[in-house]
Amino acid sequence: MPSFFQLLKKIIRTGVGRARMIMATLGLGIAMLLLLIAIQVHTDFDQLLHGRQNENESADFLVINKKITNEMMGQTGKSEFTDQEIADIQKQPFTQAFGFITSNQYKVTAAAPGDLHFYTDMFFESVPDAFIDVKNDEWKWSPGDNALPIILPNDFLNLYNFGFALSQDLPQISQETVKALPMKITISRGMLTQEFTGRIVGFSDRISSFLVPGTFMQWANEKFGSGQKTAPSRVIIKTKDPSNPVLVKYLDDKGYTTNQDKLKYSKTKLIVQTIVSVIGFFGLVLLLFALLVFSMFIQLVIASCKREIQLLVTLGTAPRQLQRYLMRQFVPLYIVIGILALLVVAGLQWMAAQELEKHDMIVSPLVSAGTICAALLVILLVYIVNRFNVRKYINAIS
Amino acid sequence: MVFQNGHGFFFAITNQTATLPCIRIPTYMQIQLENLVPVPLKDKILQRSSDIWNRQVTFTPGHFIKIKAPSGTGKTTLVHYLYHIRNDYTGAILVNGKPWPSYSKNNIADIRQKQVSVVFQDLRIFEQLSAQENIELKRIMMPQPSCTAEKIQEMAARLNVTHVLAQSGRTLSYGERQRIAIIRALVQPFEWLIMDEPFSHLDEDNAQRAASLIAEECKARKAGFILTDLDHDNRFEYDTLYNL
Repeated sequence: MPSFFQLLKKIIRTGVGRARMIMATLGLGIAMLLLLIAIQVHTDFDQLLHGRQNENESADFLVINKKITNEMMGQTGKSEFTDQEIADIQKQPFTQAFGFITSNQYKVTAAAPGDLHFYTDMFFESVPDAFIDVKNDEWKWSPGDNALPIILPNDFLNLYNFGFALSQDLPQISQETVKALPMKITISRGMLTQEFTGRIVGFSDRISSFLVPGTFMQWANEKFGSGQKTAPSRVIIKTKDPSNPVLVKYLDDKGYTTNQDKLKYSKTKLIVQTIVSVIGFFGLVLLLFALLVFSMFIQLVIASCKREIQLLVTLGTAPRQLQRYLMRQFVPLYIVIGILALLVVAGLQWMAAQELEKHDMIVSPLVSAGTICAALLVILLVYIVNRFNVRKYINAIS
Repeated sequence: MVFQNGHGFFFAITNQTATLPCIRIPTYMQIQLENLVPVPLKDKILQRSSDIWNRQVTFTPGHFIKIKAPSGTGKTTLVHYLYHIRNDYTGAILVNGKPWPSYSKNNIADIRQKQVSVVFQDLRIFEQLSAQENIELKRIMMPQPSCTAEKIQEMAARLNVTHVLAQSGRTLSYGERQRIAIIRALVQPFEWLIMDEPFSHLDEDNAQRAASLIAEECKARKAGFILTDLDHDNRFEYDTLYNL
C-alpha cells in the first residue's frame, strides 16, 4: 500500500515547471558557490596576513616620526610631537598600545676594548619594555650597576657585516661575538663623566635604534641632562593590523612616516577586499534571482494543481500536510546543492593551499567554519523563503 | 482502625472520593443553524416556509436526520454550508457553539478528519487515482488510521464494487463512483455524516445494501447523519424529518 505522500505525488505533479526548477536550482548553485568563494577567499587572506605561521615579527609594531622636509631642516622643534598630537594618536581606534621613544640628553661615546682601536660617538634611546622584541634576563639596570645592557638593531650589524666590513677588508662579526665583546661606554656632560661596561644583549628587528633600559635613561637624563623635559620626536604604537587602510590614511594625512614596508599589504588588501566584495555582491544578486524563480516555480505548481489541492482540502487534508509534502519535494534539492557547492569550494581550497604552500604561504587546506556557516545560512534562508511562498499560495486557494 | 482518629477519618474520605469512577458524558459535536439564509436564493426562500431556512434549528447528535427537498430549494447549497465549503449566507452555523468562520483552516481539516464526513452529490473522485487509492487516501490522511485496509475490501464486497477497486477513477461509472464515495466517507471516524442524494445513481438492491452499511457504521460510532434527498424513502429509521 502506498503512503499518503506517495498518493499525493500522483495528485500534485511537480513536473510541470521542470524548466523553471532547473533554472532556479542552477542559479542557487552558482549563487551559493560565488558567496562561499568570496567568504573563503576573505578568510584565507586574513589568515595570510594575521596567521601565526605567516606572522612577520615586526608587523604589529610601528615606529612613527614626522617626515623631515627641507623647510624643517635645522629646526628640531618641528619634528617633535606636541601633546595634542600624541593624545590624538593615542585615541585612534587602531592604536592598541602607545609608547614614547626617549632619547639621551648627554654625550655618549663607545670604545672597543683592547687594541681594536674602535671609538665612536653614539646615542641611546629607550622604549617601554613591552615594545621590545628581545626577551632577555640581562635586560635590566639599576642605579649603581656598572654593566649596561644594550640592544642593537639587526640592520646595524648587517650594514657592518655586508657593507662596511667587506669593502674595508675587515672581519665579519657574528651576533655571538658581538655579544661577547664588552664595550667601554662613556657618558658625559661638560666635565661630568661616568664610565660603564656596555654589553650587547640582543638584536632587534623591530626598533632601529640603540636601546638601553628605561631605568638607565631616566637616571642618566636626570644626572647628565639639561633638566628640561624634551618632547619626543619618535613614538611607537602597537596595532593589530598594520595594513589597515584607516591607519595608512591617518599617517598620510598627518605627514607622519613609518617603515613603509610594513604597510605594503594595505593596497593588496584593498584590492582583494574589492574583488571579494564584488564576487559576494554578484552571489547575493544571483541568490535573489534564484529565490524569485523558485517562488515562480512554486506558484506554477500550486496553480496547475489548484482543483486537486482544493479537493484534497475539502476531503480534510490540512494545509499543514500539503505544505509539508511540497517542502519535502524541495528540501533535499537545497541540501544537495549546498553539499555540492561546499565540496567544490573545499576542492578549490585544497588546491589553493597546495599551490600557496610552494610560495611559503600557509593557509588551511580545509574550508573555514565561516564558509560552512554561510552555506547553512543560505540553505536556511531558501528554506524559509520557500516555506513562506508555499504557505502563501496554498492558503490563497484553500 | 481508620475511623479511630479524626485525621484518618478525613484521609479515608478524601481517598474514597478520588477513586470514584469518573462519569464522562461524551461530548458529541453540536450543529445549530441560526436564521440561515443563502444570499443567492434569498427572495425565493423568504416567500415560502421552510423547516430549515431562516429558523433556529439544532441537530441532535446521534440522530438520523432526513431533509426532503424538491429541486431548486437549495439542497446542495445547504450541504455545502454544513460542510463549510461555501459561506455565502446570512445568519450562522454554530459548530460546538462557535460559527464556522471562527475555525482556522487546520482546525477545520482536523474536524473533517475526525468528526464530520461527507458524500457529495457530484461524488468528487480523483481521476488520476484508482478506486482503491481514492479510498486509501482518505483512510491514511490521518497519521493513525481508524480502520484497517482489510475493512475497505470488506465494505467493497458488501457494495459489490470489489471488481473495480483496481480501476482508474476515470473509468468508473456513476454508480461505481457513488459507492466508492460512500466507502471513502466511512473509513474515517465521524460524529456526523453529511450525504447529498447518496443513492441517486444506485438501483434499489444496491441502495439498500449501501443504506444498511451506512446505518451500521453510524451506529458503531454512535454518530448521526444528515441526508438530503428529493423524495420520501424508508431506507433508514429516521429520527427527524425536515422539509427544506
